[in-house]
Amino acid sequence: MTGFVNKFKKLTYKQILLYSIITLCFVASVFFVNHNYSFYERPIVKVIETNLEDSTEVIDKNDNKDLLFTQQIKAELKNSEDKGQLIHLTNEYSASGAYDQEYKVGNELFVSIDNNTENTELTGTITDVKRDKYVLMIAWIFIFTLLIIGKKQGLYSVISLAVNAALLSYALDIYLHTSNISLLLICAISVLLFTAISLLLVNGFNEKTYSAIVATLLGTFISLLITYLVMVLTSENGLRYEEMGFLTRPPQMIFMAGLLIGSLGAVMDVAITMSSSIFGLYEKNNNIPIKALKTSGLEIGKDIMGTMTNILFFAYISGSIPALILYLKNAYPLSSTLSMNLSLEIARALSGGIGIVLTIPIGLYTALFFVNRKRAKL
Amino acid sequence: MNVLVWLAAILFLLMVLVGGKKGARSFIALFLNFGVLFTTILVMTDPNADPVILTIIASTVISCITLFYINEVTSTTKTAFISTMITIVILIFFIVIVTNTTMIQGFGEEEVGELYIFSFYIGVDFVKIAASVIIMSTIGAITDIAISIASPMREIFHHHPTISRKDLFRAGLSIGRDILGTNTNTLFFAFFGGYLALLFWFKDLSYSVGEIVNSKVFSAEMITILCAGIGIALVIPITSSITAYYLVKTREKNELSK
Repeated sequence: MTGFVNKFKKLTYKQILLYSIITLCFVASVFFVNHNYSFYERPIVKVIETNLEDSTEVIDKNDNKDLLFTQQIKAELKNSEDKGQLIHLTNEYSASGAYDQEYKVGNELFVSIDNNTENTELTGTITDVKRDKYVLMIAWIFIFTLLIIGKKQGLYSVISLAVNAALLSYALDIYLHTSNISLLLICAISVLLFTAISLLLVNGFNEKTYSAIVATLLGTFISLLITYLVMVLTSENGLRYEEMGFLTRPPQMIFMAGLLIGSLGAVMDVAITMSSSIFGLYEKNNNIPIKALKTSGLEIGKDIMGTMTNILFFAYISGSIPALILYLKNAYPLSSTLSMNLSLEIARALSGGIGIVLTIPIGLYTALFFVNRKRAKL
Repeated sequence: MNVLVWLAAILFLLMVLVGGKKGARSFIALFLNFGVLFTTILVMTDPNADPVILTIIASTVISCITLFYINEVTSTTKTAFISTMITIVILIFFIVIVTNTTMIQGFGEEEVGELYIFSFYIGVDFVKIAASVIIMSTIGAITDIAISIASPMREIFHHHPTISRKDLFRAGLSIGRDILGTNTNTLFFAFFGGYLALLFWFKDLSYSVGEIVNSKVFSAEMITILCAGIGIALVIPITSSITAYYLVKTREKNELSK
């Protein structure tokens, strides 16, 4: 009884410590992000007054109607040498807001100040919105949701995400600073680390995890190989790299590296599902025949195949919705709109799907191999 | 031959080899879902259509295809479907607020360079479309979790027919927690893979941390990832409670009729 009470006390003490650390981080980061003006070199202003000046209806050459507004903004400078001074800004925005937006009192904006000496009042142009506090708030909502619902597992998911993101950024830095290493090699090594970190962190050091790691690596690399062969055999016919955007490097390499990393999560998911269900069945009944394990494993595989391929499909394709709408509204031909904007995304989704489906038998047989090894040891 | 045709053919072959009839249905479901998404986008180009309402309708159809067409209509898929819809409606309220305040809609300055030939004044509400993009990118993951929780809960109920609603709910939560990590990972890696070009862009043009965090493109991607994560976590208690409620309710009904 006393042992139980002690354990309880110890647990709550640890939890209290954890909760206070999290709350402290939350408060400190929110305070920081709302008072970090001096860390920026670009001038930041806070909108204190807005005035709608006029609105006009515009019709473009494709008969799309829109409303254009002009807004006079009075704002206070939050950093730089003119801190505290008022500045006058003009903002033109449209009702649709594809590349502009209305600003409201309280918004914080990056501006560039005009150099004119004749006028006593400061004027400038708006360059961007200060979004860091929004991103931070949503990140905290995400962390709290995961912690409240997922408890310990939620914490591990947050940690694994942070570690993986840091690792990816570090891997890219290494690639950029040592020009003679191939990007694919860097990504292959990162994939090894991502897999090991994510699976070990969530599932611990045991045969179940080892089997999932082996299956993940086999599944990812075989599916990449298949996609690569298809690309070589068809000489990349049908892939349109020009709309990939943000191109500072040869697109093929980035696309292949993206394929490798993009399907990794889904393949890991399938691999761990396969291995934990096979091991679960084995642990329940040590004498279960291999054939029964095989049939149950395949049944589970069939169940997850459809929904898993859907996850990747929607995650990749949804991002193109705004571009598709822009192209279509500008009377761009339908078939070119689709091939320009979707060919790479669909290729990614299909290649990821191949990885998912391949990992079902691969995961099944590696799990069986580990189960057999365990049996032989007994 | 086209890369996409080849890849689709290989995927179809593998799905049929591994999954038999169900594999074939899964492949057809992908096509049907693409059709739904594509139709939704076409309707969205009409300025009078509300993208948020369209998204809710599209999500309903998509989860029907994913749950009922691949897995047939059973009490498990029905509860998974209801849970998916509730989660999406809650999430959409949150996301509309997010897209209204964060100003991440439309295109970033890095993107408009190559789109200069186009008119941006096209009368479609891009703030709502941004909300729609976030929901659409999570819908696959939400249905996946809903079905992954609902179906083992049914098994548990089957093996322990006298289990209380509270215990059943707890069992559902614990199943959900176990898959939370791998599911968030699935989406995160998918997004990382897709944004690799963007990361290179930032690194090659040596953006400062401040510039990256505040840029529209990056914050939009971050917010999409985070909202997707929130959706994945939310669906767990919703599915657990709805499935527990439904199973216990049908048991009580059966007892009464006896």
